[in-house]
This record gives sequence, structure tokens and C-alpha cells, in this order.
Amino acid sequence: MYNTEVRGPLVLGNKSLAQITTDITAPVYARPKFWWIVGLGISSILMLLGFWSIYVTISQGIGTWGVNNTVGWGWAIINFVWWIGIGHAGTAFSIFLLILRQEWRSSINRAAEAMTVVAVGCAAIFPALHMGRIWDFFFIFPYPNTRGPLWVNYNSPLFWDFIAISAYLLISASFWFLGMIPDFATIRDNTTSKVKKAVYGFFAMGWRGSVGEWKRYEGLSYILGGIAAVLVVSVHSIVSTDFAVSVEPGWHTTIFPPYFVVGAIFSGFAMVMTLMIILRKIYKLEDYVTNSHLDKVAKILIFVSLIMGTAYLTEIFLAWYSGNEYEIFTFFHNRITGEFTRQFWIMFVCNAIIPQLMWFKKIRSNLTVVFIISILINVGMWFERFNIVITSLAKDYLPSAWASYTPTFVEIAMYLGTIGIFGFGVLLFMKYIPMVAIHEVKDVNRYQLKKK
Amino acid sequence: MDSEYLLGVFGDEETLLAAFRKMKEQEIEIEDVFTPYPVHEILEKQGRKSRITIVGWFYGFFATIGVLAFLIYTAVIDWPLNYGGKPSNAFPSFLVITIILTIFSITILSLFTFSWRANLWPSQEKPIYHDGATDDKFVILVNKEKADTGMAASVMKETGAIEVIEK
Repeated sequence: MYNTEVRGPLVLGNKSLAQITTDITAPVYARPKFWWIVGLGISSILMLLGFWSIYVTISQGIGTWGVNNTVGWGWAIINFVWWIGIGHAGTAFSIFLLILRQEWRSSINRAAEAMTVVAVGCAAIFPALHMGRIWDFFFIFPYPNTRGPLWVNYNSPLFWDFIAISAYLLISASFWFLGMIPDFATIRDNTTSKVKKAVYGFFAMGWRGSVGEWKRYEGLSYILGGIAAVLVVSVHSIVSTDFAVSVEPGWHTTIFPPYFVVGAIFSGFAMVMTLMIILRKIYKLEDYVTNSHLDKVAKILIFVSLIMGTAYLTEIFLAWYSGNEYEIFTFFHNRITGEFTRQFWIMFVCNAIIPQLMWFKKIRSNLTVVFIISILINVGMWFERFNIVITSLAKDYLPSAWASYTPTFVEIAMYLGTIGIFGFGVLLFMKYIPMVAIHEVKDVNRYQLKKK
Repeated sequence: MDSEYLLGVFGDEETLLAAFRKMKEQEIEIEDVFTPYPVHEILEKQGRKSRITIVGWFYGFFATIGVLAFLIYTAVIDWPLNYGGKPSNAFPSFLVITIILTIFSITILSLFTFSWRANLWPSQEKPIYHDGATDDKFVILVNKEKADTGMAASVMKETGAIEVIEK
């Protein structure tokens, strides 16, 4: 194990093991605060709005959306890609950093994984409804059927996407749950409430921390970590092939898979930053999620932002260098200038330029500014997807087929609804699940105790 | 009441390891050790082996073959369809699904294996010897029938156990 002196302590305040337990499990025992109930109320209202729009979409059809023959993919696909991107943080955090042996991950990974599970769940709503006849959803499964049997088309990225997203949701949820088992046991053994003992005992599944349990737990963590690392890269690469294999100007490029993956990690880390700044403040977890943790995330954001900028410039350069008139039109007359100028420049400034401010230590250590930047990044990432989905579809090869697109209230309500679901899920997580992986923090903390 | 076990409760890792080493030296059989986080020296020397990583590899191996075979059977043998003149055995695009479903199978199967082998499933009724073992205590469990309890107790006390309980 590396010497933590170089990087400063990972857990501040020389905590004893018992202190770590009480600090982190405190919200589980405390009565819900006023703001928490208000937050839950607001997200419930948004959620209801979302359910209403889902009801309208199912009962009346996709015609209630603003999409048309030319712009067949509207807000639904933008939001789908946006949520999946946000959902990448969990795997990137817990698995990439696990494999890279970055010990500082252990204060953040639990929250990042929770975010992943909720965000991917939100994302899955959009393509499912976009199929139109959601009651025929099961057609997408390859099962012996009375239609031939007619199997699904394995060459279609849309089918890959279905497999990738559902596998991703299940795998990240299991990885998340596995990490929580020892912490549930901690609550089970410490609580005095009978209900809590029964509920957390149920989910702790009889965990006692014995040699056999820890040994298999570690083995399983390595297996899941090792194989799920592939998912960090594969899921969004597959999402990008939804675009890249179709012959649309601005989509049909080889840069798409890495460009999408980096974008996903970018928005995911930005969302982690947003949430962690709120969480540590509200729950006084500053000793666990320290300023140096946030500093590291900020540095990653700077680096990824540079890659994003490079990707944008590469796209623009190749459009010009190819000499292809449709590519040149899309990038120079439809994005940089033209109808969608505003959206392009919001994307460019928010993703490639504003995060560069964090090179300055003063800005990076001012959490209010960092908080605003992290939100701007996610705004920028939303506009990136808008740029990709809408501009290319609205004006492709045939000017007579050009059309514009404005979302209807149903589409906007569905987006707000997923934000409600996300907020609801995150609030429940904050109250009922230890927000920091207790046993991992204890493990990290002992190197500091040893040195004393 | 007849007690079956002797529990040595320790407050930190160092004293636990000292007791553990000494007991191993004196060949006092340790039934189990309960810790709030994995202590690797104990995991290695307690003598229990876990083959879950090896099993995981085999799950992956068979899942890969299984998924590929299924894809080839359905798309090439059972009902080949002509998608724009592309070959029905589109091996490169099968690989995407194969990789994802292999990862998926390994995850699910090894989770169930873990649940079965580590004896963890919902509403388990396993004896919890000491409540602190998931919080801040380290517990060595000795079975009275298998080991000399007098010797074990004296080693535990000598190395700094907070308390030695009979249960």
C-alpha cells in the first residue's frame, strides 16, 4: 500500500473505529429533517408529473411529442443519453479507481454507485417509451415465439443497447448491494429499534464478518470489479453506435465511441461533485469527503474537459478536412453558425472552456464556484446531446425534408419526472443507507492509525 | 448454562494479530475470527480457501460459449434473415452481445455462488457472537471441544484482550 503522507490523510480527525460507525450511520437513526421532507415532496410532485406524461404517451401515443418524420429522435433520446452519461460515474468511481488502487475512492464510491443505479433507471424509461407500443416490449427478448420463431436482429445497435443497458443496471445494482451487506450488518448490530434490526438484518443476510465471509467477499469484489470495468467503456460505446452506424451527417464518425465514453465520465463526475458538495455539507461528512477528495475530482474534471475540447475540435477539423459538403454544412453552417448556434456555443463554453478555470487553485478550492461549474458541465452535456441528436436530424441531405423541432409539454414533463425520480431515489438513499462505505473507510483509516 | 465457545474480544488490529499469531504458534485451534473489515493476514493464515475467483473464470468460459452458440443457432441455423445483404453469421457484431452477456452471467452466477458458499441469504438466523464485531471490535472464537480453553484464555489475556467471554 502506498504511503498516504504524500497525499495527505484520507480521513481527517483521527477517528476511532466506533466514531466512524456513529458518524456515518447517524442519519439512519436521526429523525428526518424538515428540508428532507420538503425535498421528498418536491420530487414526488415532479415524479407525478412524469407519471402523467408517461400515461399520456402510452394512452395517446408518440404523437403527443414534438417529434416528426424528420426529427424522429427528440428530447427522449437526448435525456436517455444524458442520464446514462450521469450514470457512468458509479462504475467509473468504484471500479476504475478500484482497479487503479486509488484508495481515496472509498469515501465517494457508495454515493456514486447509488447515483448510477437511479440514473440508469431514469434513462431506461425513455427508449422503452420511445418504442411506441410499450405493451409489445417483450418482442425485444430473443425467445422462442410463434412468429416463426422470428429472432431479434443481433446486428442492430439498438438491440445491443437494450442488452447493454439492462445488464448495466443489474450489474451496477448488484455491485452496489454487495458493498452494502457489511454496512447493513453494522446497523443491525448497533440499532436499538426492533423494526430497523429486522429490516437491516434481512438485507444483511446474516453477515458476521467471519473469515469465510470476508474472503469470499473480497474474491467476488475482484471478479465483479474486473469484469465490470469493461462496462465503463462498453455501455456508452454501444450507445454511441446507435448514432454512428446510421448514415447521418455529423453522426457517422469513428470518433463517436471514445467521445461518448469520455463525455459520460465527464458528466458523471460532475454530478458526483454536485452531490458530494451537498451531502458533505448537510451531513457534516467533511472529515470523510475531504477537500482533498473534491480537489482530486476537480483535477479529473479538468483533464476530461481537455479531452472533450479535443474531441469537439477533432470533429470540426475532420469535417473541414474531409471536404464533404454535408459534413461541412452540418458543422460550420448548422452548428457553429446557423439555426443551432446558441446550443453549440453553450455546449462548447460549458464543457471545454469553463472547467479550465479550475486550473487555478483558488477557484478549485472555492466550493461555491466548483459547485456552479459542476452544474454548468451537466447543462453543457445536455446541450451536447441536443447538438448531436437534433442538428443532424433536422437538416440532413435533402433540404425539402428539413424540419425543426420543439418539445411539447409532455416531453418536458417526462424529463422533469425523471429528475423527480432521481431526487426521490437520492433522498431515500441519503436517509436509509450509509452514504459512505463504512467498512472500506475503516480499512483505509487503519493505515493512518498504524502510523501514529 | 453450558457454554460452548470462548470469545476473545480485542479493541484493535494489532492486539488481535498478536493473539492470533501466538495462538497459531501454540497450535490452539481457532474456530473463526470476526472483524469489521478484512484483515488480510488472518484471511491468509486461517486456512480457509475460497475458490470463487476460479469458479468465476469457468462461469465466464461457459457463458461465452453458450451465448455464442445461442446467437449462431438462432441467427444462422434456425431462422436466417437477410438484413440488407449482410451475412447471417455476422461474427464481429455477435461479439458485442457475447461480451455483455458473459459479464452479466458471471455477475449473476458468482453472486449466487457467493450467497450459497458464504451462507448469506435474506432472513438468515446465524448466531451473532458479539455485536461489536461489525463495529469496532475484533473477535476470536474458540470452540471448547476442539481446543484447550485455559491456554486460549491466557493467551488472549496476555496479548491484550479487552474481555474474554464464555458463550
